[in-house]
Amino acid sequence: MRVAFVGKGGAGKSSLAGTFARSLAATGERVLALDSDPMPGMAFSLGIPQSDAGLPDDAVEEYQDDDGRRRYRLRPGLTGPGAVEQFSAAGPDGVRFLQLGKARGPRWNNTRQHFGFQRVLDDLPQDGWDVVGDLPGGTRQPFMTWGRYADTFLVVIEPAPASLLTGRRLARLAQAEPAPRVLAVANKVREPDDAQRIAERTGLPLLGAVPFDPLVGEADRLGRALLDHAPDGPAASAVRSLVESLRRETEPA
Amino acid sequence: MKIAVVGKGGSGKTTTAAVLARTLARTGRSTLALDCDSNPNLGISLGLGEDATEHLVAVRDAVDAGEEEHATTADDLVERFGVDAPDGVRLAVVTAIQNPQPGCP
Repeated sequence: MRVAFVGKGGAGKSSLAGTFARSLAATGERVLALDSDPMPGMAFSLGIPQSDAGLPDDAVEEYQDDDGRRRYRLRPGLTGPGAVEQFSAAGPDGVRFLQLGKARGPRWNNTRQHFGFQRVLDDLPQDGWDVVGDLPGGTRQPFMTWGRYADTFLVVIEPAPASLLTGRRLARLAQAEPAPRVLAVANKVREPDDAQRIAERTGLPLLGAVPFDPLVGEADRLGRALLDHAPDGPAASAVRSLVESLRRETEPA
Repeated sequence: MKIAVVGKGGSGKTTTAAVLARTLARTGRSTLALDCDSNPNLGISLGLGEDATEHLVAVRDAVDAGEEEHATTADDLVERFGVDAPDGVRLAVVTAIQNPQPGCP
């Protein structure tokens, strides 16, 4: 499966995406976890020490196409799987982690890494690799740029107005061609009808719900992965159920 | 004074901006709340409600659509495109992404 997590800032994308990636890897799949948020947070939820697991500048070369436009490609001899092998960080449960890169200064330009990142994903075989991505918050074109590799988008939505409104906007943006599969994940759910309300207010099919769990905030404050802090807590268990539900959805028997 | 509220997603920018704006307005100052997020939710935090916030027209969209003459002054812009929020705050949404096109990350 190739999954991208989107949603409003603070909805829980990074926490869920990292936990989802590791839960999937723990079932024996080969999983590449991608952080394409310029304000990255996925390493925490994966339990990987903060590192620059990104593409170095010299992995990507600039060239001009036939019309003289500036383009980017991987340097000669470098393949998508090769780039993952060389530049990703190895994490718990066998997950591999690749990060677009951090915002390093007021004038830092990430064009080269941005396109290199996409070339790596374009070149990665569909078979044998599951990809789980954490996308930037908000509605900045997730379906056409950072999340282009994904066949399934999970919109993380809290039962709160701003999060619901963001979910509706993302649902509308997703209607562009080619329309990907877009599913809602209800997060921080407290009341029995919260998940249903989220499905109704966004018009998105619901993949599953993750309950409000103080252990998530606790892990966050400690800078620990939820799966290392409270692997059997309500939220971690719910994420494992999401993995199973999406598997049933994407790989019908 | 002109205050910009920035920070990581989910850290409370919008809530902070809304409380600041209404608090200032309550002291009698003319207060303009500008939502510069491409996913604009400031109206909700100011108390306009989810549906009203969803239907706010961004300044940029209105101008691009050509239905409005370009405003000649900043005051004119706020007058024409702003809406009234509680405590006398004037709210204007700068931009919102409505129609996706490839190219802009």
